[in-house]
Amino acid sequence: MTAAFETQTPKLGLPATIIGLAAGIALTAIGVIFGFVQGLSVQLIILSAIATLAAFTWGWRFVLGQFISEGPPVAEGEISEARKTWLQFRPAIYGLIVILLAFLALSLTIEGFFNVWNVVSLLILLTIIVLTRTLGRQFQENRSAFIGIMVLSGLFSIGAMNIEGFASAINIKSMLLFASFLGIASVGQTLVALLGGLDLSIPFIIGAANVGLLYLIGLGVPPWLAVILVLAIGALLGVINGFLSYRLQGQALIVTLGTGFAISGGVQILTSIGSAYSGNVFGTVPPWLSNLAAMNGSTFGLPFPPVIAIWGALAMILILGMRYTLYGRYLYALGVNRTSAKRVMISELAYWVMMYAISGFFAAMTGSLLLGWSGGGFIGVGDQYLFLTLAAVVVGGTSLLGGQGGYGFTVIGVLVLQVLSSFLIGIGLDFEWQQFIFGLLILPMVALYARSPHIRTQI
Amino acid sequence: MSDVTANIAIGAETKEAEPAQGGRANPFLLVPITLFFGLLGLAVLRSPSLMTSNGIGSAIIVATPLVLATYALMASVIAGRGTVDLSIGPLIGFVNVTLIQLHGAGILENPFAVFGYAIAVGALYQFLFALVVIYIRVQPIIVSLSGYLALSGINLVILPRPGGLAPQWMSEWGLGTTIFSPVLLILVLATIGWLLFTQTAFFTHLRLMGSDERAAYTSGVPIYLVRIGAHLISGCFAGLAAITFTALISSGDPSQGTTYTLIAVTALVLGGASLAGGRGGAFGSFLGAVNLYLITFVLATFNFGAVQSFVTSLAYGTILVASLLLTLLIPFIQRHIRNFSPVLYFVSLSVIALGVILHATNDYQNRAPAETPTPQAFVRLEPIPPQNLYVAPLEVPAVGEEEKALRSFAAPFVLSSILLVVIAVFVRVAVSQSDRKTIAPAVVVVISALVLLGAYMMRQANVETPPARPALQEAPV
Repeated sequence: MTAAFETQTPKLGLPATIIGLAAGIALTAIGVIFGFVQGLSVQLIILSAIATLAAFTWGWRFVLGQFISEGPPVAEGEISEARKTWLQFRPAIYGLIVILLAFLALSLTIEGFFNVWNVVSLLILLTIIVLTRTLGRQFQENRSAFIGIMVLSGLFSIGAMNIEGFASAINIKSMLLFASFLGIASVGQTLVALLGGLDLSIPFIIGAANVGLLYLIGLGVPPWLAVILVLAIGALLGVINGFLSYRLQGQALIVTLGTGFAISGGVQILTSIGSAYSGNVFGTVPPWLSNLAAMNGSTFGLPFPPVIAIWGALAMILILGMRYTLYGRYLYALGVNRTSAKRVMISELAYWVMMYAISGFFAAMTGSLLLGWSGGGFIGVGDQYLFLTLAAVVVGGTSLLGGQGGYGFTVIGVLVLQVLSSFLIGIGLDFEWQQFIFGLLILPMVALYARSPHIRTQI
Repeated sequence: MSDVTANIAIGAETKEAEPAQGGRANPFLLVPITLFFGLLGLAVLRSPSLMTSNGIGSAIIVATPLVLATYALMASVIAGRGTVDLSIGPLIGFVNVTLIQLHGAGILENPFAVFGYAIAVGALYQFLFALVVIYIRVQPIIVSLSGYLALSGINLVILPRPGGLAPQWMSEWGLGTTIFSPVLLILVLATIGWLLFTQTAFFTHLRLMGSDERAAYTSGVPIYLVRIGAHLISGCFAGLAAITFTALISSGDPSQGTTYTLIAVTALVLGGASLAGGRGGAFGSFLGAVNLYLITFVLATFNFGAVQSFVTSLAYGTILVASLLLTLLIPFIQRHIRNFSPVLYFVSLSVIALGVILHATNDYQNRAPAETPTPQAFVRLEPIPPQNLYVAPLEVPAVGEEEKALRSFAAPFVLSSILLVVIAVFVRVAVSQSDRKTIAPAVVVVISALVLLGAYMMRQANVETPPARPALQEAPV
């Protein structure tokens, strides 16, 4: 599948056509039966049946046509036609079967699940898969970004159709707000992952900054100075992380976890000295800080919190900076191949430490912003970011092995995660079910673009 | 990567499997061994009640799930590709809560059924994991992240809050009143099972695949089968870990996922395994897990009042980082000491530690039991619930003036006797090593003699001064 084959064989084999038609008809029949069972009007049923059949057969033909043109020229003779078809289209067929079965099972088990909106959602899902398998091949470089955007728009349209108020301004605003927190927290994780490292101290620094900032404000330090102090300390902690883990890059996971524990404990000790309430910090958050991150904040009179604008500007700077500046290119050079990067006099230590420093800085910034959002200090505020930043980076398509990806991908990953989680909240799932489905969905999403080649192609 | 490749040939198993390999021994055990004895000595000095039958019993009960979870991680980490199974904690939790719920429904009663169920679920999950890694070809860490989220979600669905009752026969295991509990048996059997496994060709294939998958593939190793096998073994250990965890808390707890995952990964790395694959052993993993237990134990013996849990967290993190930084010294040590033998090191340190233990448990208590009734001297250590591992303060014997005087009086004697023993052992070993390649028999004899002696002394101490007041203070959590 990796090499590009020029030969075009657009004609579909007979077995493939028959299988496709049969699957399409079966799907349509299921739709019709359920439509009647639910007592929908006949026009709707006919309409959806035609739509189902048409979309499915088109998709089938399109997908398989692409596969044939991409597939390696098979050895003549020996293998029978059916087996050949099977071998070539196996993943696509598996995927379709799984989705259809899941749909069938859900329709059978949940009362009222089968309605027009859900059928349309199913079609959108199928279209996404078809498009990603076909058009996605045109984007060799940014395939994950393309797929991410497809998933994002698909999810969003499904959500907008199925959930009342999903596409309303309020909901979009709140989704963007939480996405900006996660996005700012993931800056460091992305940069560190580009070098092949991991930073698990982010959630602890977030919590420590959250508590520490309120503590400083409570001590009477001017809030602007306190924020600058906290950000500087965050960057300093990042530098320490970088120096400590530089020689232990394979164990960066554990080193940063250890420093994270230490930071969290140390800040709590500091804040509880001379305080009757161990670990609890009280103080008033200045209004400008709450305005920065609260739901009802305003940016120069516009009705959205400035943190969204900050995140947007940050993303722009990072994406452009990593693409066009020397620093950005050197970062990729180091991530891809340390040895060759060293040969052109790029200092590995400097970049490694710098990325961890940036990571610490933005973690502290997230902590400060979260303080503005919530209005009260809490050491555990960053806990959910422990694996969420990792998930955003991974879903976006940045490789944890380094050298591939970028912050633009992470932005898409963050948005996908955020839309998905508010979709799951919207359909009324509890937190635990959300997490369950979240976990189950990360795998196929990543599998759409981040599959590693077979071992025999690596030799 | 270079250190990994350099150590492919080095035995991952050093102590039990092939003792005294001389210069080819695994230098990565240096740090865990040092840390182990340092912590052990400190723990015994801080709280001599650790070295009673109760103390050791409860230590075994608390540490065993962690050790087994570390074994489970170890099996899959050796398989390479960065297979750090983040989902190990939620998997243990999953087996735990389903076990409790099924038992509550009256289905799982029989011990054999419980064991079979736990091991089967663990193995099945890991089997699926391996299939996904092999055929969908996604990075294992992503699969494990996915499994982590999915399992910790479903755990909360199955059992929304901690509760339920473990089977009757199992809840008695968790008391930790004796050393020889079934939990110890599980631990020993699991360790022996792993050690037997390291003797097979399959294990060689596994290590080869872990350190260089392409080389393994080109030399004809069936890498798919090997990977599936590694995951199945990992799943069995995970099932056993879940059983001992259930015995420890005697109920179900859906939210232990994060804690256990983080602790087990940490223990694995502390034990000298390489997350890149190809290196790791039972002895190191055991030491790593026990070290983590001892760290929390020692920290719990200090009383910091309101900031207890913060200090614990700070010290925990610092020790982690420091011990990892110590591994950086290994190349320098190797340069100067060519024939570093972990066995010899272990023996010499264990002699010293035994001396400390004997000093702490016998010296001043035996001599002056009457003058110092020491109300808190013997407080039975409850099995610490894992959620309290970082926070629960233990009772510490108050050190009176007389005891202090006694300690300073006894210290020279103890130290000189320890010194004599150490010198004797060193001389013996040096003599035997001069003409023979292996010192294994001597080492085994010495260790077992010392252990027997220590056990005998402890029993004596126990009998002479029975627990004065086994009252327990509730842990203020």
